Amino acid sequence: MTVFNPLVTALARLLIFPGLLFAVPAAWFFLWVERKSVALMQERVGPPFMQPFWDFIKLLGKSTPPRSGIAGLLMRAWPLIAVSAAAGAVGLLPVLPSSGGFEGDLILLLALLELPSICIIAAGFSSRSIFGEIGSAREAALSVSYNIVFLLAIVSIAASQHTFRLDALASAPFTPLHWLGILAILVCLPAKLHINPFSLPHAEQEIYAGPMTEYTGPELAMWELSHGLEWVAGTGLVATLVAPHVSIAWLAACIFVAISFVVVLLLSALAAATARLAIDSSVRFYWQCTLIFAVLAISSAIFVRFRS
Amino acid sequence: MNILTMLWKNLVRGYQTLLFPARPRVTPRFRGLVLFDPALCTGCAVCRFRCTSRAIDFKAGKGEFTWSYNPGQCTFCGRCVEGCAEHALKEGHTEHALSQQEAVPPIYTTQGELKKSYTVARRPPAPKPAAPPAAVPPAGAALPSPVTGGAQ
Amino acid sequence: MKLWRRLMCTARRRSPWLFHMNSGSCNGCDIEIVAALSPRYDAEQLGVRLEGSPRHADILCVTGPVTRKAVGAVKTVYDQVLGPKAVVAIGSCPATTNVFIDSRTLDGPLDKHLPVDVFVPGCPPRPDAIIAGVAKAAQILAERGNKPPTTTVAIANAEEAVKP
Repeated sequence: MTVFNPLVTALARLLIFPGLLFAVPAAWFFLWVERKSVALMQERVGPPFMQPFWDFIKLLGKSTPPRSGIAGLLMRAWPLIAVSAAAGAVGLLPVLPSSGGFEGDLILLLALLELPSICIIAAGFSSRSIFGEIGSAREAALSVSYNIVFLLAIVSIAASQHTFRLDALASAPFTPLHWLGILAILVCLPAKLHINPFSLPHAEQEIYAGPMTEYTGPELAMWELSHGLEWVAGTGLVATLVAPHVSIAWLAACIFVAISFVVVLLLSALAAATARLAIDSSVRFYWQCTLIFAVLAISSAIFVRFRS
Repeated sequence: MNILTMLWKNLVRGYQTLLFPARPRVTPRFRGLVLFDPALCTGCAVCRFRCTSRAIDFKAGKGEFTWSYNPGQCTFCGRCVEGCAEHALKEGHTEHALSQQEAVPPIYTTQGELKKSYTVARRPPAPKPAAPPAAVPPAGAALPSPVTGGAQ
Repeated sequence: MKLWRRLMCTARRRSPWLFHMNSGSCNGCDIEIVAALSPRYDAEQLGVRLEGSPRHADILCVTGPVTRKAVGAVKTVYDQVLGPKAVVAIGSCPATTNVFIDSRTLDGPLDKHLPVDVFVPGCPPRPDAIIAGVAKAAQILAERGNKPPTTTVAIANAEEAVKP
């Protein structure tokens, strides 16, 4: 009996809220919000409300070319791994208070957030297409650059609170270090979500379609879904860190959705306002401009830790 | 900051798009499909000569001719209309058979769907208007003769 | 299953993804395709997305009279487009090679190599005509389902253009 309860809670978190049943429609909703707000900011009318859902259904109905050998098997596996990793990351988010968690689930969350970009890189290479390889190389360079900042920021927040549990972090009091870390995460999110100004790996028309060039049909539907789930997970992480601690469950859920929505709008405004940076400028931005702040954050966290 | 104020103004002003089935009006003198009036055509075939893409075809027969037009082949340059107008003016007509529709050509789904051809019977040339009765000058009237009339 | 099929038909009609291919065009039609994505005409209101890879697209928009060197490329790209697909010939050039009739460097209208579903006449066609053509192609896709294209359906939508 004592084992039963956490299992049920974990399954409910993974499958219902904030897991699959909530995350997949939320992914489509956030994708639509991004496209629609970018369109409105460009004086266009943008896609109708159910557009990402119709895209998904249509892609499920397209045929796929025969894929043979190990490369073919891998090509079909990467999108599924990306979707499961992103859905798992969303399921781990500490949205509801007292929803359990375990020691070190922050580390698991970071690993799951990292997997979709690794899958994109691997997918570009296993598709044996030259455009895929170029796109994957760019994605790898960008990933190395922003990940250092991202991980240093999160680890500094965690270290200053002496914990690696997500629910403890979500309910921790706000310190200036906390805000510095959240700002660093917000700066890394455009690169993680492949939007302007760091949308180079998915550069449309420039290298055909980057790592996704050879993908089609249901596989592409899975990639789009994993992209949407990455949006939910990324903005959800910021939302859980920013949200005040509330003990009523449905209120916490509403605050979570509201803050995620605001973060999506901010990122869309950034995407509409900027152009795509070339790979050298994007990498240089993360190494030259933001790394120093991440280093400052982690060193002040260590300093605070040793002082207390 | 400029781009952010631009984004804000765009959000506040709303979208400027034409929602789907609405199409914008074309300007006057827009060159659309070529329209043919069989009643006015004299069968000179200047339009076939001037057509840049062989969209107009003219077959002369005995007592009739066939004029056909393939809008799919047409490049909407308007040379045929200009040629028809010039030729009609030279012949003394005020109206000519070709004009250009000021509307966007329609989309179609089968090759050659919009082709049109007309078979027009040749008309006999229009009779010349009757000469006015010759004005008989009265005898001895003051018809200024060039010799005497030129006295300064 | 009927529900799924109806859902799929609606999805195909509401989410046409384009791939644009230039088979020797003067670029006038290509510029008008880009203009169709601009704020005034906004193809995205129909769910149209211009994709970077032919494998992602449903509708292949071809411009240009097919030059001899481009024939192989056009056929390869058509084979790379998957699943239920439609072809839109944009401009008068792919429909009938327009002013380049009798040119030695061309290999026939697009009809000779691919089954074309919608022809959008014009030189260049206006962006709203291009969007109307793409919408018609999306509708044809929705009705076609998974059957490969054999013959195109003649729809009499030619307006009578005779002066009264």
